[in-house]
Amino acid sequence: MASNTYDALVIGAGHNGMIAAAYLARAGKKVCVLERREIVGGAAVTEEIFPGYRFSEFSYVVSLLRPEIIRDLQLPKHGLKILPLPSTVTPFDNGDYLAGWDDHDLTRREIYRHSPRDAEAYDEYSRVMARAAKAIKPIIGLVPPDPSSLSWRDMKGLLKLAQFGRSLSEHELYRIAKLVTQSSADLLEEWFELDALKGTKAASGIIGTYLGPRSPGTAYVLLHHYMGEIDGAFRAWGFAKNGTGGVSAAIASSARALGVEIRTSAAVDKVIVRGGRAAGVALANGDELSAKVVMSAADPKRSFLQFVDQQHFPEDFVQAIRRFRVRGSSGKVNIALSGLPDFTCLPGEGPLHRGAISISPSIEYVERAFDEAKYGQFSRQPYMDIIIPSMIDRDMAPPGHHVMSCFVQYAPYDIEGGWDDAKKEAFGETVISTIEKYAPNIRQVMVGKQVITPHDIERIAGITGGNIFHGELLLHQLFFLRPAPQWADFRTPLPGYYFGAAGAHPGGGVMGAAGKMAATEILKDWQ
Amino acid sequence: MTNPDILIVGAGHNGLVAAAYLAKAGKQVLVLEQHAIAGGQLAGRRLAAGATVPALHPAGHLRPVIVQELGLARHGLNGAVADAAYISAAAHGESLRLMSSATDAATLDAIRHHSARDAARWPEFIAFMTTATSFLDAAYGTSMPRLPKVALLGEGLPLASLALKLRRLGGKDMFRVIRSFSMSSIELAEEFFESEALQAAIAGVAIHGVTLGSMSAGTGFTLIHNWLNRGGLAHRGTPGGPQALTDALVKAVRANGGEVRTNAGVAQILVEQQRVTGVRLASGETLKSAMVVSSADPRSTLLGLVGAPELPPEFVWQTQSIRMRGSVAKVFVETDGQHGLPQGTIAVAPSLRYLERAYDAAKYGEISAQPYLEVTTAGDHVHIHFQCAPHALRGTDWEAARPVLEQRAVETLATYYPAFKGSVRSMQSVTPVDLEQAWGLTEGDLNHGQLILDQVFFMRPLPGWSNHRTPIDGLYLCGSGMHGGGGISGHAGRNAARAILQD
Repeated sequence: MASNTYDALVIGAGHNGMIAAAYLARAGKKVCVLERREIVGGAAVTEEIFPGYRFSEFSYVVSLLRPEIIRDLQLPKHGLKILPLPSTVTPFDNGDYLAGWDDHDLTRREIYRHSPRDAEAYDEYSRVMARAAKAIKPIIGLVPPDPSSLSWRDMKGLLKLAQFGRSLSEHELYRIAKLVTQSSADLLEEWFELDALKGTKAASGIIGTYLGPRSPGTAYVLLHHYMGEIDGAFRAWGFAKNGTGGVSAAIASSARALGVEIRTSAAVDKVIVRGGRAAGVALANGDELSAKVVMSAADPKRSFLQFVDQQHFPEDFVQAIRRFRVRGSSGKVNIALSGLPDFTCLPGEGPLHRGAISISPSIEYVERAFDEAKYGQFSRQPYMDIIIPSMIDRDMAPPGHHVMSCFVQYAPYDIEGGWDDAKKEAFGETVISTIEKYAPNIRQVMVGKQVITPHDIERIAGITGGNIFHGELLLHQLFFLRPAPQWADFRTPLPGYYFGAAGAHPGGGVMGAAGKMAATEILKDWQ
Repeated sequence: MTNPDILIVGAGHNGLVAAAYLAKAGKQVLVLEQHAIAGGQLAGRRLAAGATVPALHPAGHLRPVIVQELGLARHGLNGAVADAAYISAAAHGESLRLMSSATDAATLDAIRHHSARDAARWPEFIAFMTTATSFLDAAYGTSMPRLPKVALLGEGLPLASLALKLRRLGGKDMFRVIRSFSMSSIELAEEFFESEALQAAIAGVAIHGVTLGSMSAGTGFTLIHNWLNRGGLAHRGTPGGPQALTDALVKAVRANGGEVRTNAGVAQILVEQQRVTGVRLASGETLKSAMVVSSADPRSTLLGLVGAPELPPEFVWQTQSIRMRGSVAKVFVETDGQHGLPQGTIAVAPSLRYLERAYDAAKYGEISAQPYLEVTTAGDHVHIHFQCAPHALRGTDWEAARPVLEQRAVETLATYYPAFKGSVRSMQSVTPVDLEQAWGLTEGDLNHGQLILDQVFFMRPLPGWSNHRTPIDGLYLCGSGMHGGGGISGHAGRNAARAILQD
């Protein structure tokens, strides 16, 4: 039985929690991570849903994980292996398709086939977006200052921000200002005419949001996902060997090597407060652990409304957290296959099976999908991002068999009348019949399917509201407003209690930035 | 006037405000108006169809600072206006009647009827709106610089004082104001109120005149914008009607030695080597001047009156992508007086979903089957504002669709005020295409450019060109499409005059 006294306790063994723990241990602290489930990873887990078929149950692609974290924690040495997804294919209803490859010229030629004008624009668009993403990237690594505070630290932060602003060219500055406020539809319509191209690009502006491509602010989400692309060519999105759980395993192994203790099946009940400071945690099983600091990597609602008694927080703060929007909007359908789905647009086994398949024929298609969601229904004709991991990593399924992962929007958390088995079944059926339109043999090769609604994400991964970013990426929930005004610097109104997860700046997407920055701030305050 | 220093295109309120300030500063100013009477959207028109229609807006108010600086009271503008009632229509006499006041007993009772908690929070909401509008007013009165090259004295100091004003609001209020801009009107209303009737009544004002829905991000901003221009939820009547405002401005221009020429439509803005040299009128007459200020919308000024060949390609491309997309129509009804409509501003905004659905139609080029309406009366005359009626219709055109518009306007209003239908004597409607043809509003956008977050402040009309200047030396913009613009306020005209005098 290990001693129950630590320097730091981390709630939740998601990637942010374990990364924070690893950085603290690296600085010589005695750290313990407490995980509710029997496995680590949070929303980045690989599970054998059907015997022999292994799925990246929730989060299914990697690209945003910060390079410096991969270096600092020597993740490759601990088994991290990213296998590239070389393409994105968007099938049309008329049997044609639009393909994007990891080779710019190849993609350009493909677009030219549909629209010479868009092929022209595509070159410039790629340059502009890459420049914008590079320009805004430093913000991700910046601890948001509090513009209302006069403290030395915040003033320095604001100055840093001002300097950053001045370091940008007038063009970059305006491009970013527009990207942060615009709708992805407006952005793309400035550039392109081809529906499938606009639809597919717009789709990455709505992933994880409760917004449609015509909603202002979605251009930022598009950029947020574009970050992954700037180091690679077309789409540097990759798939981790052994699924997304492989990423968590590597982080866990690296953390343990640095001396971090990770306890699974150790659900936290309350944060213990002594003398107005976080002093440890009480587990559901009654055990008590004490530490100088506690960091939560759970979502904001549980971190501040469940683990800690309200009396320890000012009313404003509690209100802000209550108002924080965490409505999940995406579902997932994981399908076990006895053979490959045969797509009418590219018959037979081909390169499209090794990449992503995007059901996004036009902006209007995606916008109409959203229209249904905002009135409390799941989309009858949903947007989908489909990949077949077993084509990239044969170990994911029995020989000759396959696993298919379908990310689906929209499936609103607060669906009218609430989710029940019938609705869940109907949702799964909608997904299958949508795939069937483009790959008619899907039902013959399907041997099993797992339907995941935002409620399942909440139940299994423990994310309140089932929002994959722990909180919607809305303009007023970003940077110095995330998760709450005046508390965006990973500290909380309760001394000794820190917050470092997707609900904090810079938001979700298996980046690890929040965990790393939280650890850095904790070490700054250490005395 | 033989050789004016400055030619001003268009005698809308912003053109006249700019003219008055410039004339007051001793410039020889000549305002050129295409139509027989000045006033822009505050003046009536004869439509292509032959019908004659009144001003587009039941009322309008210039910012007090402008009324005072230009001494408009001396020219017959009575500034003092009482608050009016805002009535959110609901079936069987359940209508919600609101005054924009924290203390009005009847208002608090009306709200209490829906929710005691909401009535208790009403004063806090009014206080917040007062703070937010006063900040926005200050922002609109401050010229937006060209980032990051801020001219320290000219622009830096006013900006700094604006930032200071924002910080002086203190942590809580400051964040509330900042956050509210990018929020949806629903989110904003939900932060204060639980009753949907009240939330929807407020959301109606938020989406008024813009092609957005109650759920769209940025309608928190448009709520504050519209509240500022109206001075609350309802339109406050202008003593003497909107025409009085125009007349006072024209008098102010003339009193300062300026001239306003009507029936003098500008056909072209003349440019030589990136420098403006004057204008050519529709009559063929040319007027020379080294300085031209246009109050027309940015796109028609730059791509229409100047012409793409004179402009940098990148700039042309940006100007083409300014989002106009108007979706407002007006229906003017003459009744026998038995319309049964109450005095004040009536909104048909029964629920948040209703407003969002009305907007959905616009996204797909359809006329809302259940439109958001805002209605005001003047004796027997009923003025209906209709949303959404998108400029670009799918599968039909506006001449064919005009009857649909008029019928839906009447039917919708009649569901709440049954007496109205029988009282209708005659009707005239203004479609987005009429707005474009008779008022020169590109795509029928009343605001000369959508009030969306990427087209306001230093990004209005275009990033880098919010300072009223253009790539053409001597050509300035002063219309609603500029920072401070959208709605009747005069901020854009006043800022433009300031920028011009700086040069």
